[in-house]
Amino acid sequence: MTQTISRRNLLSWLGRLLEERLLIAPTHTTGPILFQPVSKIEDIVLDFDNTALSAKEWFFPATETLFWAETTDGRTELVPATVEREAVVFGIRPCDAKGLALVDKAFLAEPADTLYQQHRDKAVLVGLSCRKASPQCFCTSMGTAPNDPTHVDILLTEVEEDYIVQIVTEKGKALLPDNLLLESKVVPPPPPSPPVVSAEGIEEVMRQAFDSPYWSRLADRCVHCNLCAYVCPTCYCFDIRDYESKGKIERVRSWESCQSPGFTRQAGGYNPRASKGARLRQRFYHKLLYFPEDFGAIACAGCGRCVQVCPVNIDIREVIADIQTIGGRNVP
Amino acid sequence: MELIAVEKPASYPDKERGERLNQQLRDKAKELLERGAVECVIGYERATDGSSARPFFVYQPEEVDRLIFDQTCTHNLVKYLLNKKDKTTAVVVKPCDSRALNLLLNEKQIQRDKVFIVGVVCPGIVETGWNQVSQTLQGRCQRCRQHTPLVYDFLVGEPPAEEAPPAEAYADVAEIEAKPLAERQTFWDEQSKRCIRCYACRQVCPGCYCSECFVEQLQPPWVGIKIAPPENNMWQTIRAFHLAGRCSGCNECERVCPMDIPLSLLNRKLEKEVWELFEFQAGLSAETVPPFATFKKEETLGIGE
Amino acid sequence: MSPENPFVPYLATVKNVVTLTPDIKLLGLELDDPTVRDNFSYKAGQFAVLSAFGVGEAPFCLASVSHPKGELEFAVRRIGTVTSSLQELEPEAAVGVRGPFGNCFPLDDNKGQNIFIIGGGIGMAPLRPVINTILRNRDDYGHLLIINGARTPQDLVFQAEFDIWASSPRTQLELTVDRGHDGWKGRVALVPAVIAELNPSPENTVAITCGPPIMIRFTLQELRKLGFQDNQIITTLEMKMKCGLGKCARCNVGDMYVCKDGPVFTCEQISKFIEQF
Repeated sequence: MTQTISRRNLLSWLGRLLEERLLIAPTHTTGPILFQPVSKIEDIVLDFDNTALSAKEWFFPATETLFWAETTDGRTELVPATVEREAVVFGIRPCDAKGLALVDKAFLAEPADTLYQQHRDKAVLVGLSCRKASPQCFCTSMGTAPNDPTHVDILLTEVEEDYIVQIVTEKGKALLPDNLLLESKVVPPPPPSPPVVSAEGIEEVMRQAFDSPYWSRLADRCVHCNLCAYVCPTCYCFDIRDYESKGKIERVRSWESCQSPGFTRQAGGYNPRASKGARLRQRFYHKLLYFPEDFGAIACAGCGRCVQVCPVNIDIREVIADIQTIGGRNVP
Repeated sequence: MELIAVEKPASYPDKERGERLNQQLRDKAKELLERGAVECVIGYERATDGSSARPFFVYQPEEVDRLIFDQTCTHNLVKYLLNKKDKTTAVVVKPCDSRALNLLLNEKQIQRDKVFIVGVVCPGIVETGWNQVSQTLQGRCQRCRQHTPLVYDFLVGEPPAEEAPPAEAYADVAEIEAKPLAERQTFWDEQSKRCIRCYACRQVCPGCYCSECFVEQLQPPWVGIKIAPPENNMWQTIRAFHLAGRCSGCNECERVCPMDIPLSLLNRKLEKEVWELFEFQAGLSAETVPPFATFKKEETLGIGE
Repeated sequence: MSPENPFVPYLATVKNVVTLTPDIKLLGLELDDPTVRDNFSYKAGQFAVLSAFGVGEAPFCLASVSHPKGELEFAVRRIGTVTSSLQELEPEAAVGVRGPFGNCFPLDDNKGQNIFIIGGGIGMAPLRPVINTILRNRDDYGHLLIINGARTPQDLVFQAEFDIWASSPRTQLELTVDRGHDGWKGRVALVPAVIAELNPSPENTVAITCGPPIMIRFTLQELRKLGFQDNQIITTLEMKMKCGLGKCARCNVGDMYVCKDGPVFTCEQISKFIEQF
């Protein structure tokens, strides 16, 4: 027996939630579909492949104030930022949820990044299974699946006019009242099968391939923008700067990526990673070797956004296959 | 912005012509590499989606068969010459790209004798992205007035027998100009809200080559690192001003923007102003100095007159 | 740091500013909160991230030996916006301190050994607490040989302490500069050449070095030529940093993060680095 919720009940539940909490859901903008706070239920998009940016931006915002410093009468006081509002992130795909779980490994490791932790603690994730895979998807090769409930609090799977409901955590149970659910005999539909990318044993081949000329050849066409890192659910590099205005100082962190030319440039000009090849190599090594060594998992959720947005078609699936070949592993 | 679907783009009415062009291109690339005239040929190859294109750097004659040219070849390859300053390189250019080349030659960023220019007669490029190749010509191509590159050492392709008249150059710019100030403000605020400062626009632009971009300078902090509307507005506006009189109109900035911000409107607004004030279009020749890189005593700007 | 947020610094006050060279000053700070002050303990090699409020933050190794009543001392070389701003501070100015971060020189393991210290320019800063720890526990260590190099005589760091170091028992101080001037009577030679000249035995000795990357590279070569094994050579590395705590993923050399796996590394570890520093 499975539990289901009708579309009507789902929308009315979301309507009640948005009165008490910040409800973040996929919405239309004058550009692409993005996760945005909604003020009315009609704004929620239910029929979409995936958002242009991952849900990461609601936990690790593109720009976030860390603290304020105020000096009065020669005395300085520091006021840390805090996250106050309870939130619900609705419509998150399993790949994005997996992405958050990967960022957790880095940000929640001692000492925990408290702002990120507050965002995570105060948000409930209501996931939406994928009924079809897009050409760029490869989540099943990265330890998750189109119907993976592991990293969300509630997982919904669309079936005709209703949604199958899986309550995954206590947080999820507390959010969704039982009386909206129906018992049903409907069978969960089989999930789609995205193409497979074999990343088995990739760490070892990466270790061998560090000095390969492959990286500077690949980097020939890379333009070193920050797109791949910014759309990625698992990238988390950031920059910190101070702002001064009207006597108050604000310390702000913003997204940055290892691709930007000045990423490792020290004051005085020394830059150990000045070449294009070295910078592009860093991205793949962080994801496929360093992160797995530190945290036990490849830093990729298989969402394929980087594949879609890269202006010059640097395709991580192709890179993985090429590296496997360089390492002498004949993988399909 | 309403795009006009063009059923039969000018100049590639048949597959045979396209194949001839591709063969000419590959033969030339092979010859250049075999006789060591160039270290590398920068062209295009098919992308991993099997339908769009991506830049391709050929170093070995055996690789030339991967080179393609067709209506998906949207990238402006001229930018890459800035990474190859100490080598002799061949580059495939469309007419808009050749204007960017002229700019870089004029601004002494590349040396003419270090570049072998393979010009392509361009039928117009379609709206294209990863796994999204359409039949519709890009806006810049509908407005395009030059199907043959302005500078080249070798030309591939045949000029068209007849050309469709180009679309009106500034119809969409005029539409925004006609709006009252408050509406224009709202329009651009909506756009800058979505900007994530990925700098893809800057990185693909041949005109943006400063070793330290103004947006990254600490002293003074012209624009902060906050990814927020006021800073985003400053970023987009100042970049457009730095390109005034220099932008070649390749529109790659707009194509690569992940947030669908209509960047070309800003660049073309300034292009229109520069035309009206100075009767100057960027990149028509490597000799003519852009208006903001020169000063003539007799100049007036129509201000205060 | 505030326990609520590891990015919020402890407030501290500048107590002392001493000019060491034309571009290096020694800043002495006192943490404002007495509880924080009493509990802030660190070992030679560790670093802290100093805030010049309104300008930014940068990492500096602690140049003092940890003591609950002692000032935190940092040698700051003027090279960018944060360091320039810190150099302009006067006593009683407010700064921020986050730390201590990183690992330390394993001085406890080196007891009973001879110590060979090689420092270049501002690289002397993390080596100063190593020297001072040894001098305060003199009987625990064998012979102490120090090479202190700089670009020119006026750039030699910690000149006011040379006499104290040189006059300690079983301690030898060798100075060298890349370029002398008319009044300079001392050695004019690059640091690796001085190592070759002094030719110390690697027997029961550990070499500890810090300086610009190029100096470290050539120093490692020279030491290996003399027979030092990779596990007998220790250095500190520096990379551009922002968070200092392993979150912003910026300071890595290959899979080693300078802020949490370093800044102290043995040559054995460095020989396994896949990336160049």
